[in-house]
Amino acid sequence: MSILAVDAVSISFGGVRALDAVSATFGAGEIVGIIGPNGAGKTTLLNVICGINRPDTGNIRLQDRVITGMKPNRIAGMGLARTFQTSQLFAGMSILENMMTGLHLCSGTSLYGAALQTKRMRAEEAELAARARDALDFVGFGGFADRPGNVLSFGQRRIVEIARTLISDPKIVLLDEPAVGLSVNRVEELDSLLRRIRDEKGVTLVMIEHVIRLVMGVSDRVVVLNSGQKIADGRPEEIRNNPTVIEAYLGKQIDAARSAS
Amino acid sequence: MLMFSYLMATGITTGAFYALVALGIVIVYKSTEVVNLAHGDLFMVGGMLAYTCYVMGGIPYLPSLLLAVAGAFVVGILTERVAYRSVLKHGLASVLVATIGVSFVLKGIGRYIWGGKGDYLAFPPIVSPEPLQFGNIMIMSQQLVVLLAVIVVMAALALFFKRTRAGKWMQATASNPKAAMLCGLRIDRIYMYTFAVGAALAGAAGVLMAPLTHLYPDVGFVLFIKGMAAAVLGGLTSIPGAVLGGVLLGLAEQLAAGYLHSSFQDVVAFLVIMFALIFLPTGLLGARGLRKV
Amino acid sequence: MTLPVLVGNRSFLALLFGALLALPAFANQYTLFVGNLMLLYIILALGLNILVGFAGLLAFANAAIYGIGAYGTALLQVHLGWSFWAAAPVGAVLAMLIGTLLAFPALRLSGIFLALATLAFAQATQWVLWHWQSVTFGAGGFRVPPPDFGWIPVKQDYGIYFVSWAVTLGLLLFTWRIMRSRIGRAFVAMRDGEIAAQSLGIDLLTYKAMAFALSSFYAGVAGALYSGLLGFVSPEAFDLFQMIIQKAMIVVGGLGSVVGSVLGAALLVYVMEVLREFKSTQEIVFGALLIAFMVFQPHGLVVFMKRWLPGWEEPLHLAGGVQSTAPGHDTSVAGATSKEHASAERT
Repeated sequence: MSILAVDAVSISFGGVRALDAVSATFGAGEIVGIIGPNGAGKTTLLNVICGINRPDTGNIRLQDRVITGMKPNRIAGMGLARTFQTSQLFAGMSILENMMTGLHLCSGTSLYGAALQTKRMRAEEAELAARARDALDFVGFGGFADRPGNVLSFGQRRIVEIARTLISDPKIVLLDEPAVGLSVNRVEELDSLLRRIRDEKGVTLVMIEHVIRLVMGVSDRVVVLNSGQKIADGRPEEIRNNPTVIEAYLGKQIDAARSAS
Repeated sequence: MLMFSYLMATGITTGAFYALVALGIVIVYKSTEVVNLAHGDLFMVGGMLAYTCYVMGGIPYLPSLLLAVAGAFVVGILTERVAYRSVLKHGLASVLVATIGVSFVLKGIGRYIWGGKGDYLAFPPIVSPEPLQFGNIMIMSQQLVVLLAVIVVMAALALFFKRTRAGKWMQATASNPKAAMLCGLRIDRIYMYTFAVGAALAGAAGVLMAPLTHLYPDVGFVLFIKGMAAAVLGGLTSIPGAVLGGVLLGLAEQLAAGYLHSSFQDVVAFLVIMFALIFLPTGLLGARGLRKV
Repeated sequence: MTLPVLVGNRSFLALLFGALLALPAFANQYTLFVGNLMLLYIILALGLNILVGFAGLLAFANAAIYGIGAYGTALLQVHLGWSFWAAAPVGAVLAMLIGTLLAFPALRLSGIFLALATLAFAQATQWVLWHWQSVTFGAGGFRVPPPDFGWIPVKQDYGIYFVSWAVTLGLLLFTWRIMRSRIGRAFVAMRDGEIAAQSLGIDLLTYKAMAFALSSFYAGVAGALYSGLLGFVSPEAFDLFQMIIQKAMIVVGGLGSVVGSVLGAALLVYVMEVLREFKSTQEIVFGALLIAFMVFQPHGLVVFMKRWLPGWEEPLHLAGGVQSTAPGHDTSVAGATSKEHASAERT
């Protein structure tokens, strides 16, 4: 059973067809890279999957349950997490609290419980804080727990945000350009982090990336989008030599030049 | 029939005047993405300055008009420096709050200099106060003056944006500030003059309307709501929309006052704002910004 | 305990509430009235800060909701003969219900548009209070019988004062605890990153509704107490100026700070008293305060308190994050924009 199935999904924005009958499946414990030229519809695909936009046609299934058209917070509650291109670490909270917010759905304190500071509430808060610290330690940022969100560099923030998505033990995590703005060293750290996540936690990772080296190196499978359509889907080696993919990135003339030389 | 045509005529002339207020709001918003909440009070400033010059100072009408508009222009520049330029780095919501601050400062100054609440300044009519009659329709000549003035101003604005370099600079900055900056445009200056032009429009509206209405320090907010209703109805980014919105609002008010009850006139603007924001997100003619992830 | 630790936000609150509790012993009737008013403003500021400061919803209807609470309570007494003690909770709940309805537009609108819609709503409410004369007695307002304390042997002024004091303290504790719980975190998450908050499972409708419900309830309670305090209700007291006063209080104190709400409210009530004579000066001062704080210290006075008073512990919930001094770090209250401002990046 695949964790996530995208079934002939199409969506248009004001006359522009952003996604055109795109289908893909994502299995348990896989790392799948999504690549494609700018404007190919990669982020739109993530937006549609996690519920921010509703597709015009097609369906999305999360563990065989149809999630098309559900609100994003409900989909999140079903085990799907995501990061964004721009940093979405909450600046008005400490990093620890950011992580605890990641466990929002795992705690049930109501207005009543919070107001009365019941034993149960206090125990729950303590547990959330403990889990938050563990998650920070997993990515090596344990020491930053009590600092505000905006003392971290951009690259560090991306890592913490990834940790925030993992804390609720999701089944699948969507990452939108996790390596953007990272230096070469950090990209390697990210590479090993992603492998650790897959190996130790068995989480499916779906990753939009432009850093081809990273994508090809760490992915089990690569999906290629161009102008809203899926043009290739297979193992990194197959994709690397796929003429349609090369053409999408570089254009026909260069390809002709190559074959002529 | 006479009453209906009177209502229509009044509706269109008041509507034209709301359109003038709305134009100032739209011009500033298009360029800076900020709604200047002190905009209505600039109307008061224009009216009060004109009153001071014309009634208290005895200066002839046309120079008074120009002085008042110039005064409003200057206040517009000050507003930009104080409430926009220095505050923008903290976010647009802070700018909004800062313009509220400006609004209250202006109101307070107005109240201090020209009288407390309940004091209405009466501006003498510029043209003969007798209503003119065209067939079945009755119009006050001052209303015609306002209507004509509005048409002239709108034509002047259209020319300004299409033909002059300054106008094109403003348009360029409005649609893409970074690119404009890269082309060498001093966008700080342009924002400043945008605010000033918007303010001058409000001031001009204040002077033109002064003979038809009472001037009092709180008139600014009432006007702001009406101008805002017109602008939102027409689409906050559309200049023709502001005109259309203004006229529609004016008509709606008069019809509500005439056929329902005179007290309903005031509430129309509020209902229009709420209705337009909820059901017509892009207004009738405009396009609101989309939120991107 | 060393002195520095004693000087902090908790001691400030203890001092203030202690002083307010002791006030009846040495104040004249007028000062007591002002003290009571201060308590009401603290309630209003606490509620408004939840909505605007913590949840980042730029709404301008609070003064109108305050009025609905006051009118609701007063009208139930005058039209239906209810006692104050029955009418007050109902008035507060009525205000809460109406205020919560504003959460629906808040789902679709943000920033300036939400501000406008709530502003229009507030003006429409004013209009209803003015013109629905058969029910609301119109612009002139009307008198309300004072709360009846029955068999409790207490002077009228003192009675309402102690009730206000107790309610204010209760709401303060309530706010303090809520904001330190997962609910407070949900609000701040909504404010600082709405999309990401959703992707963490936070339901925007629930929490926006909760923010409106809480702030409206507080405003309703303050309104009910107001009618009991003053014995007279008129639309004037709930107009735009009132809204600005409340907004100024939370801005001066600190958006996103519970203690800041108290600080701002106390300070500005004092300023209002000093400027009592001249409404125009009041307007200029409040306007100038708003501008000055927006330019120099949009995070309010609590930032100074935190820096200079070692015992001042403040959770980092301030709008924009406490230590952000870099320009272009735009995470202030609910600013949704699709364009970047090149000039901001040049500063």
